[in-house]
Amino acid sequence: MNCIETKNLGYRFSESQTVLSSIHLQVPEGSIYGFLGPNGAGKTTTLKLILGLLKKQEGSISVFNTPFDANRIEILKKVGSLIESPSLYGHLSAADNLEILRRIYRCPKERIAEVLEIVGLSGTGTKKARQFSLGMKQRLSIAVALLHNPPLLILDEPTNGLDPNGIIEIRELLRNLNNTYKTTIVISSHLLSEIEKIVSHVGILNRGVLLFQGTLQELQLKQAVSSGIRFGTSDPKKALSLLLEKGVKAELENSEIVLHTSSRETAAEMNALLVHNNISVFQMSPEKNDLESIFIDLTKN
Amino acid sequence: MNFIHCFRSEWLKKKNSAASWLMLIGGFFIPLIILIARMTDIDMLYRENTSLHVWEIISNRCWQFMAVFLLPMGVILAGSLITQLEFKNNTWKQVHATPQSLSVLFFAKLSVIVVMMLQFFVLFNIGIYLAGVVPSFLFRGIPYPQESIPFVAMLKLNMEFFIDCLPVIALQYLISLQFRNFLVPVGVGLALLVASMIAVSWKYAYIVPYAYCMLDFMNNRNNPSVPGTPVHTWAFAYFMVFTGLSYILYIRKKEKG
Repeated sequence: MNCIETKNLGYRFSESQTVLSSIHLQVPEGSIYGFLGPNGAGKTTTLKLILGLLKKQEGSISVFNTPFDANRIEILKKVGSLIESPSLYGHLSAADNLEILRRIYRCPKERIAEVLEIVGLSGTGTKKARQFSLGMKQRLSIAVALLHNPPLLILDEPTNGLDPNGIIEIRELLRNLNNTYKTTIVISSHLLSEIEKIVSHVGILNRGVLLFQGTLQELQLKQAVSSGIRFGTSDPKKALSLLLEKGVKAELENSEIVLHTSSRETAAEMNALLVHNNISVFQMSPEKNDLESIFIDLTKN
Repeated sequence: MNFIHCFRSEWLKKKNSAASWLMLIGGFFIPLIILIARMTDIDMLYRENTSLHVWEIISNRCWQFMAVFLLPMGVILAGSLITQLEFKNNTWKQVHATPQSLSVLFFAKLSVIVVMMLQFFVLFNIGIYLAGVVPSFLFRGIPYPQESIPFVAMLKLNMEFFIDCLPVIALQYLISLQFRNFLVPVGVGLALLVASMIAVSWKYAYIVPYAYCMLDFMNNRNNPSVPGTPVHTWAFAYFMVFTGLSYILYIRKKEKG
């Protein structure tokens, strides 16, 4: 069952400026969904539309299997969010910032201390939020999103401004929430490496178009298919036909042979075959094929 | 019920804010100056405190400065500051992602400004009271004011000035909700206030929404140039129109954060 589902979601700032076109987002319940794309891809616009912060122009949005428009308040009761930069009242303390929202969500007072503890801000006392570092502000914003224990968390670049330790802590926190409470988490980022360790599903967006959506395993499969070893030879055409005769998966790309294998033994064997047939091999290099490269390839194309 | 929760949440936002300090300091500012001025002339102080109209004298003196400039100015600043808290802190998106209806949010925010103004009136009246009684504690021979406090008359006076402020509150609220830049509502407010000061002697001054405090004080109390002008009715009507317009613009806003 999908926790969030959009159909044909489109948005444009003006007639000539299309931000999103026909987005079919499917976030399965209980998943950690990594929403990836370079800056300006339309991630924040999509998340804002899902939260009702932007007026929908095209398509439909369902959250918890109910249409958003007709059930805005009921849906928002079960959603915690952090969109772009931290949204905090600088003249108030961390506890007061949380109290503002506690009065709306009507959760127990003790919850404030609990979430401050979770994000490591228990010791901030009466210190005003404007005196916090960016990392502390980000943590407090995550505390705001967690305050009412929502079954769905929408976090737009939540690790912005955090130091490496902070990133690891937040990652652990999200993983725990997902494991313990089965919280569905949508986490956007422009860096795959930053979230690939925790996500179960991935959506890749570029220039308002969803290029890939599926499980992390499906993305990894895509990676395996595209992995290989690149050969620079004196006669690429002859080399390719020799390799194909041997039944090896290979292709010609920019006057170089790409051998689709990750086995070093096969590569050595094919090298010997080429040399034996008087083809000089002057370069052998592994094809760059980690998840980051696939992401870059997808978004570049 | 939702409104009360929303109001309580909005009320907390003004804690330690510039607007709340402005209300506190602004409420006592004029009475403090009047108190100091009274204490510089002991003879006058004696005469006033033994007069049977002492509260009218002090109250009139305080309202004279308050009504003409400081009250509308304070309303312009406080109304704009409260609404601009969300823009300044980049919190509109958080507010609009909470499970509250937009109507409840709109009226809760407006109510915070209105209640803050009531709070300001209470503080101002406490200030007037202190300006009357403090000299009797500080100077030997100065009696406690002889006249008992005319509660009903003062309440009526406050009510009227409060109604006079309502159009200013509503228009400042409207502008502050629409513009991110704090200078826009304050600039427009100041411009309208200056325009009202110029227009106050005009026979149609009652159509200028920021002029009612001045008109109420100058025309109706001291020198009624336009007798019978229903200033409070006009003020209330403007308040309703501006609030309605503000509500429509707020609800129809395309981007809410």
